[in-house]
Amino acid sequence: MKIDIEDLSVAYQGHTVVAGACLLAASGEITGLVGPNGSGKSTLLRTVYRHLKPVAGRVLLDGTDVRALSPARAARHVAALPQERSGDFELTVREVVAMGRTPYKRAFAGEDAADRELVSRALADVEMADHAERRFTELSGGERQRVLLARAFAQQPDVLVLDEPTNHLDVRHQVELLGLLRARRRSTLISLHDLNAAAAVCDRLHVLHDGHVVASGPPRTVLTPALLAEVFGVRAAVAEHPLTGDPLIAFDHRRPLAAAPQAGSERSEQQAPPGRPHRPDGARDGAAAVRAAPGTAPRQTP
Amino acid sequence: MLDTPAHTPRTDAAPARSRRTVPAWPLALLLTGALSAALTAAVAWGSTSIPPGEVWSVVWRRATGEPPGPGTDDLIVWQLRLPRALLAALVGAGLGLVGTAMQALVRNPLADPYFLGVSNGASLGAVAALVLGLGGGGALGLGLSGAAFAGALATFALVWAVARRGGGFAPLRLVLAGVAIGQFLSGFTSYLVLQAGDEQQTHSVLFWLMGSLSGASWPLLAVPALAVPAGMLLLQARARGLNALLMGDETAAGLGVDVVRLRREMFALTSLLTGVLVAVSGAIAFVALMVPHACRLVVGGDHRRLLPVSALFGALLLVVVDIVCRTAMDTQELPVGVVTSLIGAPTLLYLLDRRLGSGR
Repeated sequence: MKIDIEDLSVAYQGHTVVAGACLLAASGEITGLVGPNGSGKSTLLRTVYRHLKPVAGRVLLDGTDVRALSPARAARHVAALPQERSGDFELTVREVVAMGRTPYKRAFAGEDAADRELVSRALADVEMADHAERRFTELSGGERQRVLLARAFAQQPDVLVLDEPTNHLDVRHQVELLGLLRARRRSTLISLHDLNAAAAVCDRLHVLHDGHVVASGPPRTVLTPALLAEVFGVRAAVAEHPLTGDPLIAFDHRRPLAAAPQAGSERSEQQAPPGRPHRPDGARDGAAAVRAAPGTAPRQTP
Repeated sequence: MLDTPAHTPRTDAAPARSRRTVPAWPLALLLTGALSAALTAAVAWGSTSIPPGEVWSVVWRRATGEPPGPGTDDLIVWQLRLPRALLAALVGAGLGLVGTAMQALVRNPLADPYFLGVSNGASLGAVAALVLGLGGGGALGLGLSGAAFAGALATFALVWAVARRGGGFAPLRLVLAGVAIGQFLSGFTSYLVLQAGDEQQTHSVLFWLMGSLSGASWPLLAVPALAVPAGMLLLQARARGLNALLMGDETAAGLGVDVVRLRREMFALTSLLTGVLVAVSGAIAFVALMVPHACRLVVGGDHRRLLPVSALFGALLLVVVDIVCRTAMDTQELPVGVVTSLIGAPTLLYLLDRRLGSGR
């Protein structure tokens, strides 16, 4: 199932956080949202799983507006993994995963054999079957995220929406979780903080800046030194990952962008300024809106 | 989609039943048995002891419409002790339900109508109605319940608004706002009662602020006897939504729960139940806090099991506490809130220690 986001604008506590964003998450692909803090990633995702209501624009699931669906109907198509911490309410891992069946259940209905089977299978898919009876709050951060992913699987969604699922996880657990996403691949819309992780796991990236989509395309074409300077405000080189061949972004942690005098003049010519809405030019053509220019190759410090 | 074949043999799957938690049905049966025994004891024990067999025979004669037996047993059992024991059970069940729902609603296991000031708001509503002469509504006390409901709802809304100011939602802030507003309201309630100058004013202040079951009578049972089972049914129908709410509003929305609507329903329902309970028994502390906690430790956090078990355990607890209140002192009886506070405060300290000690 594809997600089509059309001219989406969302206000949150009086501020416009997403301003006319357009993007397409194609069926069967892992689509990444990247951008600095406050660029509107989470807010955009919240409209997809109906936590927030847009002030303008639409979120279409295979052409159907999510707001036109009942909450339970929408939740049968879209499963979300928001950035939230729950309180301590003595829930077991199995009970948390079984919540994924909520949109399929009427009031008073219990779980039947098929539900239990789905829950067990989802737990097995994230390699947590042996932990089913543990208390959810006893788990480590990485285990928790895997259990929440299992809950999303138990929801049998057409699309997964994940909001920075690797936040606060150590490297090993980040790699495990993203590996699971690739192994159990389905249509996915994911926001990620870590650009190298995004480059490795996503088929297509959309870059958000101040509520606008400023670049879209495969990671290789989107993640350029010019864009990293413009949107993230950092000096970086993009190389090829020696193990995987994915784009590998190496940040210059020694010098802020301001210390590099030419950077400003370079980017202004090569890239649409942020603040102007960008329309992705088709989902499958592979064209990136922002292209690397020869002049932005990594400079050697003298 | 998980492409599930119709039937896969369960080979490596974990056992379907939870090992950690006690199964709910046998526990519910056990609690029901214990509740019946406690009710019988509550009617049998007191300044005049009545044999349990005689208790049931009086109830049987009344239930089948036979003429009451000779002596004072009928009066003591049917007019005095049975309505009081049943009131204790209804109020206890109601408090167990309200506490469970409120803790899910504000996602804070330390919430209850007493600490959030909602009970005090209900008391103030009821006292204001009495002072203004609106306490009528017939012998059933509907006017009183209505006023208590209004007080509870207004207070809950105020505490919620104060706790949510600035967008954040810290659990501590909620409880502090509740305690502060509750204390303010109880001061106001005391003032109103004393101002009204009725001859039993001290007793009235105690009733509204500490809670008491001494006013029990058959007509008084009517409203809670309808409201508590109805509330339980409505909560049970929303049990999955309450489960989802524990994980957070966004998660609940992602699971297809209409969070705004569920919140409104729970606001109204917990305020209504609190109002009904306070109108017949005053503001009883700690029961709504302790009962869901204790039950969660035994059956886990799933509301489909937690709600009925909390109702049964709450009923059992308050019936037993009321026996203690009536029999502990020879000269007079204790208000029920005195004993619940004596049990509840150490329990709360233990819970705080456990939570803070474990770093959560």
